Amino acid sequence: MFSEKQRQLTYNFLVWAYVLVALFPVLWMVSMAFKPQNVMFSIPTVWFFWPTLGNFTYVLEQGFIRNIGTSLIVSCISTVLVVIVGTPAAYAFARFRIWRSNDLFLFILATRMAPPVAMVIPFYLIYAKVGILGSYTGLILAYLTFNLSFYVWVLRSFCRETPIELEEAAMADGYSRWQVLVKIVLPLLRPGIIATSVLCFIFTWNEFIYAFMLGGKKVETIPTVIPHFITAQGVRWGELSIVGMVALLPVLVVVFLLQRHIVRGLTMGAVKG
Amino acid sequence: MGVFEKTIPPGYAPVSEAEVGSARQRFWYPYVLIAPTMITLVVVALIPFIFTIYLSFHQMDFAQVGRFSGITHYKVLLSNTAFWHSVWVTTIFIAIVVPIEFALGLLGALLLHQKIKFRKVVLPLLFVPTMMAPVVVAILWKIMLAGSWGLLSYNILERLKIISEISVFGSKELALYGIIFVDIWEWTPFMAIAFFAGLQSLPMNPYRAAAVDGATPLQIFFRLTLPLMAPLMAVIGLLRFIDAFRIFDTVFLLTSGGPGSATETVSIFTYKRVFNFWDMGVATATAVVIWILFFIFCNVFYQIAQKKLKAF
Repeated sequence: MFSEKQRQLTYNFLVWAYVLVALFPVLWMVSMAFKPQNVMFSIPTVWFFWPTLGNFTYVLEQGFIRNIGTSLIVSCISTVLVVIVGTPAAYAFARFRIWRSNDLFLFILATRMAPPVAMVIPFYLIYAKVGILGSYTGLILAYLTFNLSFYVWVLRSFCRETPIELEEAAMADGYSRWQVLVKIVLPLLRPGIIATSVLCFIFTWNEFIYAFMLGGKKVETIPTVIPHFITAQGVRWGELSIVGMVALLPVLVVVFLLQRHIVRGLTMGAVKG
Repeated sequence: MGVFEKTIPPGYAPVSEAEVGSARQRFWYPYVLIAPTMITLVVVALIPFIFTIYLSFHQMDFAQVGRFSGITHYKVLLSNTAFWHSVWVTTIFIAIVVPIEFALGLLGALLLHQKIKFRKVVLPLLFVPTMMAPVVVAILWKIMLAGSWGLLSYNILERLKIISEISVFGSKELALYGIIFVDIWEWTPFMAIAFFAGLQSLPMNPYRAAAVDGATPLQIFFRLTLPLMAPLMAVIGLLRFIDAFRIFDTVFLLTSGGPGSATETVSIFTYKRVFNFWDMGVATATAVVIWILFFIFCNVFYQIAQKKLKAF
């Protein structure tokens, strides 16, 4: 029917068409960041214009740099905590016969099931009583909920995939259990740990509800700032686009650098081979 | 079926008996490892949830806990048409969104699986919609589909006279479809890349055998690829289902459940109970009801997937 070459060309074309669909709105938003006000809403749409940095001044005036810092702090600390706490657990679930491990695992999965909007209520009340509302501790603690369950869930599959023979050999050579963990298993798991922790970082970086409700005025991550640009006088689209851009950039860079690991992380080891 | 024959999955059996340490030490070891995680989750997830259940049985006066009120809130909730409407909206949403994303994702994965030039560049680019913060996605599509000056709304919808003069998100009939469209745009890449990773890690031998036996591409796809991919598809499908149900950020910023309650999903319904009506009682009751429904569903799904597909 079709020659091999024709088919390859079609496939390539389709893929790039898909990329266009995926990226075009994003690129348009980026262009909005640099559009001067008088050109932004014109009909018919203006495609070429002199870029301006005017929108940036307003954003910086609102203290956006501080928001970036806050997001960084919260996301990094949260991810580090998740890795430290979750890695041993994932390893244990994969390697040992734990009493009722299925139930425990389902419990971990269940922590992801409640809509975050509903879970905010108890958090808000408890935090208000304890006094950590609007604090870094409170927010980071809240993020442990879904990040930890996700991390353990995914990393367990990675652990299952790593061959056990290396550990057995090390044990036969006289390594203690702890040494086996640190010297053999961790290096093997490194791609999996990186991939999953990056995903956790991204989820935390992008998260809105918990940050909005539990962060208060003192801890404002990047997503929480967005409603501020929807003022009573109208929406400040140019500034919003800048926020969107900044929110996207680190994620993009990280994904680009670690894509191979992330792609593996998504398989969750469910397909053996 | 030969492809499912396995003894013990590698890495799942306990390490052989060439072990160090006393028997008691060996016994406690795994529990020591999982203890921090379990303790954290109990504190951070279980306790708030139990507190939610507790709250749902009490009168709530703004943020003050009042007297015990039994199942009043549940009665109010289950007889509230707005609640059932939100369930309906969410159900339609999931019923349309998940299968479409699933199918398009699978197609996309098959496409990526071919010899694509510059695939290493294409993958992260394709992943951008999923990687963006949902709130930013909302802003983005607000820009694209805004009333009269949005890029898409003006250039395509108006010029081609499909829809004129109205904003997609301002119309009762179209708003939900707008949300559906945005969600598909946002999450299909996730499905495509996850399935692609699965396709990449499939074993080659069955395919070689099939080629020797002279199987047609269609036969290969349905009899070989699909069954092999089934565990992954179950996991990803479940994940997407759960997340689609909890959708909030995008809907909140795009329509806030409006116009009227055309796009009021369960999450938005709960949000409105809390912040518009200060009805914490009903809001917490909603959380409990939804969670129970979900738990039953996931349990059933988990059991089936584990037995039939060896997915977990």
